[in-house]
Amino acid sequence: MTIVNVLLGVGVAFFGFVLQTSIAGINRKVIARLQKRQGPRWYQEFLDIFKLLSKRSVSHGWIFDFGVIMALGGIIATAMFMPLTSTFSPFGASDNFFIFVYLLAVGMLGMAMSASGSGNPWASIGVMRALTTMLAYEVPFLVVVLTIIKLTGSSSLSAIQLFQQTSGNNWFIIALPIGGIVGFLALMGMLGKKPFETYIAPGEIASGPMVEYGGKQLGMLFIMHEITVFIEVSLFVHLFLGGAHNILEFLLKYFVVYTFANLISNVNGRFKIDQVVKFYYKWPLIMAVFQAVIAIYFGWVI
Amino acid sequence: MANIEILLLVLAIAAIVSYFLTKLNTMLGSIFTIFATMFVFVSLAAYGTNLNLDTTVSLFPGLTFSQTYLGFYFVIIITFVYLMVSFFHPYYIGEYKYKDSYNFLFLLSLVGIIGAFYTSNFLQLFFFFELVIWTTMFLIPQGKSKEAAVSYYGFSVAGSIAMLLGIFIIFQQSGTFDISTGLAALSGTPSVFVFALFLIAAFAKLGVFPLHIWLPIAHGNAPHPFSPVLSGALVKLGAFIGVLALIRIAPQTAMINAVGLPIGQYIVALLGSVSIVFGTLMAIKEDDAKKLLAYSSMSHGGYILVAFSLMNSIAFAGGFYHILAHALASAGAFLAIAAVARQTGTTKMSELGGMIHKMPITYLAYLVAIISMAGIPPMGGFISKWLIFQAVIDKGMIFVGIAVFFGSIGSFLYVFRPLAALFLGQELSEYKVKVKEAPLLMLIPTVIIMLLNVYTGVFPGAILGYTNKVIMELGYPAINVSTFAITGFNGVLSPALISLMFGVGVAIAFVIFIVLKKSRKVGLMDTYTAGNFVHDEHLFHYTKDFYAPLERLYEKHSTKMQTFYKSLANKVKELGRLGKHLFMSKYVEVAVVWIIAIIFFLLWGEIL
Repeated sequence: MTIVNVLLGVGVAFFGFVLQTSIAGINRKVIARLQKRQGPRWYQEFLDIFKLLSKRSVSHGWIFDFGVIMALGGIIATAMFMPLTSTFSPFGASDNFFIFVYLLAVGMLGMAMSASGSGNPWASIGVMRALTTMLAYEVPFLVVVLTIIKLTGSSSLSAIQLFQQTSGNNWFIIALPIGGIVGFLALMGMLGKKPFETYIAPGEIASGPMVEYGGKQLGMLFIMHEITVFIEVSLFVHLFLGGAHNILEFLLKYFVVYTFANLISNVNGRFKIDQVVKFYYKWPLIMAVFQAVIAIYFGWVI
Repeated sequence: MANIEILLLVLAIAAIVSYFLTKLNTMLGSIFTIFATMFVFVSLAAYGTNLNLDTTVSLFPGLTFSQTYLGFYFVIIITFVYLMVSFFHPYYIGEYKYKDSYNFLFLLSLVGIIGAFYTSNFLQLFFFFELVIWTTMFLIPQGKSKEAAVSYYGFSVAGSIAMLLGIFIIFQQSGTFDISTGLAALSGTPSVFVFALFLIAAFAKLGVFPLHIWLPIAHGNAPHPFSPVLSGALVKLGAFIGVLALIRIAPQTAMINAVGLPIGQYIVALLGSVSIVFGTLMAIKEDDAKKLLAYSSMSHGGYILVAFSLMNSIAFAGGFYHILAHALASAGAFLAIAAVARQTGTTKMSELGGMIHKMPITYLAYLVAIISMAGIPPMGGFISKWLIFQAVIDKGMIFVGIAVFFGSIGSFLYVFRPLAALFLGQELSEYKVKVKEAPLLMLIPTVIIMLLNVYTGVFPGAILGYTNKVIMELGYPAINVSTFAITGFNGVLSPALISLMFGVGVAIAFVIFIVLKKSRKVGLMDTYTAGNFVHDEHLFHYTKDFYAPLERLYEKHSTKMQTFYKSLANKVKELGRLGKHLFMSKYVEVAVVWIIAIIFFLLWGEIL
């Protein structure tokens, strides 16, 4: 590990922020066209964030600020380990899958702490819903990933990409089709897209965790959110879509996955929170276990 | 050269001295207790680490001692928890009913623990176990309820009896009470019996499903400074018995080829999994912070059992590391809750709020502890969970996998609950004035444990090096650990790198934060209320039934185990009544007839 790796890592985090913010902007246009509107310009999201960062805001005490710093810091740290292609990874073989799941949680914890620290019950309700949703989607997802790691024999994202790119092996979305569907459903939950958008729910709990934020804190949380989305979508691309040989392939796959999730999101209503839990613990979990059993114990992999 | 016999003797004498000192002055006795535990901890750490303790016996012929890396690993963790907790005594035991005996029993239970881990004889092991149980049984009821002690004692004794039966079977087969020769001589069907009996003991002590019911009752009602000992130290005795059964005995049973495990081990892993899920779900819906942590102990006990049942070095390393990580995390969390309870007089989360404003250091200690408990980097819990995941995935155990993943994500939910309800949120009016940060003497252990939680997460190399010695002693190959990296089955983990990058990330975020315009400080009540006028903090503090939508889904199943044990208790009571009816009736003749009949039956058995 040298200073170059650290700089590369920070570069990846920054790249992720720029990429996701742009793609989110483009997606706003896509959705607008879907609804027969003109839509904002593609760089609107940047404008929003920079405007927020420049504004003066209020703070509810040191934990409110500290949580925001911890959230953004945790997410930047997570993004720093993310490989972009099968050959480019900031820290080589240290791109262990579990780092992404658990280091991401530090950021989430920071945000949850900060939101609860604001003293607003809506924020606490939002955090409660976010954590409950997380409990719902994470278990089926991890069972599918268990299958993938068992098949590839490695939990390094680069190695998993290389495994899929080896001739004779399919992408895991084809090799494990049922698991692929589960993975995508879990991704929808991770991204907080409808119908799993229970914890933001603007009309219901006043944007949940975000209710008390404004100015730079909100701006930082927006940045955090964009990087989080970058991490989650990249995880899906690397785990199920064969990763990428080069950056262009990565961009293309990334765009397709995110836009697809967004399109589904925009034609759906919102589940109630217990419906989310019931949903994930019914079909996705059964499918994930089924996929794992036939793949691991019977070796039926396409 | 320290002698283990002298050490135990000194500690036992210190226990008696502490009784009289505490009688004289509570503060004096407690300070003496701190120094006594510190003396033991330092001597053990100095001489025991490389097994340099003198184990020859001169004063008490009949006792035999020996030292192992395994025993030392357990004893040093437990003694450390005892030492940390003893710092809390001066502020708590003054309130207890039998305060004179508190320090006495505390030190005496430590004698039992050290004896249990250094003995080389099964009967002595049993004796020292009983010493621990009997001393702690009198400590627990000094808290909130006497019932707690009954439940603790009942389950502990059930475990001890199971262990004693196992010991007798070993003696029957090998003709010796010596631990290592006895275990080595064990084979065939008896080894399966001993395996099962020892596991019952392990389950009972560890508080793992289905013998978990005492755990929340005892942890929740024990005196505040004793709960960390129960959770961080005493349940680890169960893990020790578990190691004996699962690794040392490990009977030859039919193999399950799909996961490459003997059926006995697989059943234990499944029971551990049930324990993880059950503990997590119960912890999520618990309102009392201490009971919540007790259920989390149950779930972590499940992790430890799963780890020890997987039959390979990575899993064992994970299990041993988890014992340390959980001891530190739960001691840290319980001590933080104890500090809050001292200020507010309650551990119910629905009655607390906003403690962070008056107790920031306690809050940070709790935060670090729960990050470790939830298995999030950069704390110790992450390392152990990572190792356990490695082993579970490598074996391809899907159902155990579901449980360990569920437990690990579920732990985010329950550990966040006290954080949000107790420390964060609105600062309730009744605590605004009188609550203060804990006194310095209590902050010392809090901060030490906090630092150790971070240390175990950032630099696990040294400790994993030590667990490697333990694993090799048990006859398995060492795992590949260097200062900065741990190699598992399917990847390399560099904890220090992760922590460093976390630091870099936070530094970047901090720079962004600091260069932007400074924000204006507002009060906690100055928030968005959707146009309503909220005048009271209590109305604006969301703590009750925190996970209500989730709880609704399993609420009606959550009391099943309690009902089962309650009906079991009723059956036992009925049996007792029958006995009373038969023996204690007003007709003496009836009792005499029964006694003669029993003697006759016993003799009959003897003759046959």
